[in-house]
Amino acid sequence: MSSGPVAEARAVLPARRGAGTAAFLARWARAAGRDWWWYLTGVVILVLYVTPFAWMILGSLRREVEIFEYTYPLTWRTFVPVEWTLKNFLDVLGLSPEGRAFGLNFGRALAVTAFVSAAVVLSSLVVNTMGAYFFARLDFPRKEALLLVVIATMLIPFEAVMVPLYIVVRALGVQDTVWALVLPWYASPFVIFALVQFFKEIPRELDEAAIIDGASFFGVLRHVIVPNAVPGLVTTALLEFQFIWNLFYWPLIAVGRKELQTIQVAIAQQTTQTQIYWGRIFAGSVLASVPIILLFLLMQRYYVRGVVLSGVKG
Amino acid sequence: MSVATPALPVPRRWWTARRRGYLLAFLFIAPALVNFLVFRYLPILAALRSSLWQYSLLGGYGTFIGLGAYGRMLEDPIFWTSLRVTALYVLLKVPAQVALSLLFAVLLQRETRFAALVRSAVFAPVVASIVVVSVIWALMYHVQLGLLNSILTSLGLPRIAFLSNPQLALVAIVVMMVWKELGFSMIILMAGLKGIPDMFYEAARIDGASPWQQFRAITLPLLRRVLMFVLVTQTIFSFQVFVPVYTMTRGGPLDATKVIVYYIYQNGFLFQDMGYAAAISMVTLAILLVVSGVQMRLLRSEVEY
Repeated sequence: MSSGPVAEARAVLPARRGAGTAAFLARWARAAGRDWWWYLTGVVILVLYVTPFAWMILGSLRREVEIFEYTYPLTWRTFVPVEWTLKNFLDVLGLSPEGRAFGLNFGRALAVTAFVSAAVVLSSLVVNTMGAYFFARLDFPRKEALLLVVIATMLIPFEAVMVPLYIVVRALGVQDTVWALVLPWYASPFVIFALVQFFKEIPRELDEAAIIDGASFFGVLRHVIVPNAVPGLVTTALLEFQFIWNLFYWPLIAVGRKELQTIQVAIAQQTTQTQIYWGRIFAGSVLASVPIILLFLLMQRYYVRGVVLSGVKG
Repeated sequence: MSVATPALPVPRRWWTARRRGYLLAFLFIAPALVNFLVFRYLPILAALRSSLWQYSLLGGYGTFIGLGAYGRMLEDPIFWTSLRVTALYVLLKVPAQVALSLLFAVLLQRETRFAALVRSAVFAPVVASIVVVSVIWALMYHVQLGLLNSILTSLGLPRIAFLSNPQLALVAIVVMMVWKELGFSMIILMAGLKGIPDMFYEAARIDGASPWQQFRAITLPLLRRVLMFVLVTQTIFSFQVFVPVYTMTRGGPLDATKVIVYYIYQNGFLFQDMGYAAAISMVTLAILLVVSGVQMRLLRSEVEY
């Protein structure tokens, strides 16, 4: 495949050009006057998408009674706290007496989730990079058949086979350990497929030059492929990190011990109690989602490229 | 292996430089292959095996029942309900999501800062976890204290019990999931739109075509392949919905949201009936493989066209 999808993805998000605020506002006003319906639609979409997050973030910063007091009628007070407080965060992190009494420890859950996500990203960077290098560059009899095995793996529906996966993990005796959270995901057919596309864009002459200089397969991978495929590696690492961080069904069934609960499982557990503590749910949700959304905003370009690449296969 | 006996002339030849190269090459793919065999393919074999026995996590393998679990499925009204609910979910969600994401893609493809801002906002729920999104929406849907009912009552409208009304619960989940996943298909469609050469539109404008005519005559036909791709992958993906049902309704009210993957979970982990859960997993796998097969055929015929 050519550089088509990547170039397209780059164009999806425009480059930001510097401009004076006043000039920008004037231009904006003129444009807004010209096609007001477009701006109106944009604003409506923006409100529809920002409101739930704003409600969540602002709700996490107020006391429980206050949330209920200002629900109705709908005013700006429904959203904006009267008294700002970090109490909900102290509760869910187990830093306040109430939080401790409830046995809440989202800090530990965050640490477990961060550790597992990092472990998967690291192992998958190594294993998938090697696998993609094999398909993009190395010589092997019936390599196409092996590629078919990898592509067929992508067809196995993911959530539908979680229970069978649990049967295997149990047979291996690693259920309820941190291994259960890492091992099934240390390689990914999607990442291999995506990396093959990135590696194919690197000119083969570079490999050949390195081989003439006496580099081994591994040397070529390390000194030619990896340095030239950094954007691709960052993209896949980012998608993988987000995927593992957000995983719910698998950690729910694979691990029963509270010490190994991931953040997603810890939040979902909050809604199954007899009494639901809204403030704590808001605070937990903020802790679980805001870091990953910030990561996305910072690295948006890589992100979009990854999504497009996963969508342009076929 | 045959290398052991030095009397044969073959061994020295067998270990050629080329074979050594193959072995070294294979070492690069081996770790990933082990993962796929153990954690993707082996579960299918394990599920096929355990679906033939009475199998629970606590009791292990019980009596051999052969295809009994599959027979039981045919007579299990809840299994059929779950299939129907899943199909309804897919039929409501996928067309709505594809249509809206196409609309959003066309609207937001402008290269202005405002469009970029709205795009980022639409994509944010895609990166936020499905647990967070469904938990927040469950609170928004709350009968007494939810934000949506606060809006309704402020407009003088009656309260709606979104999640405890059997007629509304599934729709409520569909609305939330369309909101969450729209950004993903929007980005893919946007890349597809970028791939359509500008000169087509320029030519159409010179001919005096209206924006709607341009959309019908240029955008839709040239986007067909990407649209088809989004449609089928979203169908497969949506067929496996689980988390919102788990966090918001637990399959209720009155099984109105009991989708197939939730029913598998229930049998395996709540009713301690792993064998039956494995059997339903296998049927779900079969259904989705058929859908994938159809996808491949459709996409291939598109290429030839």
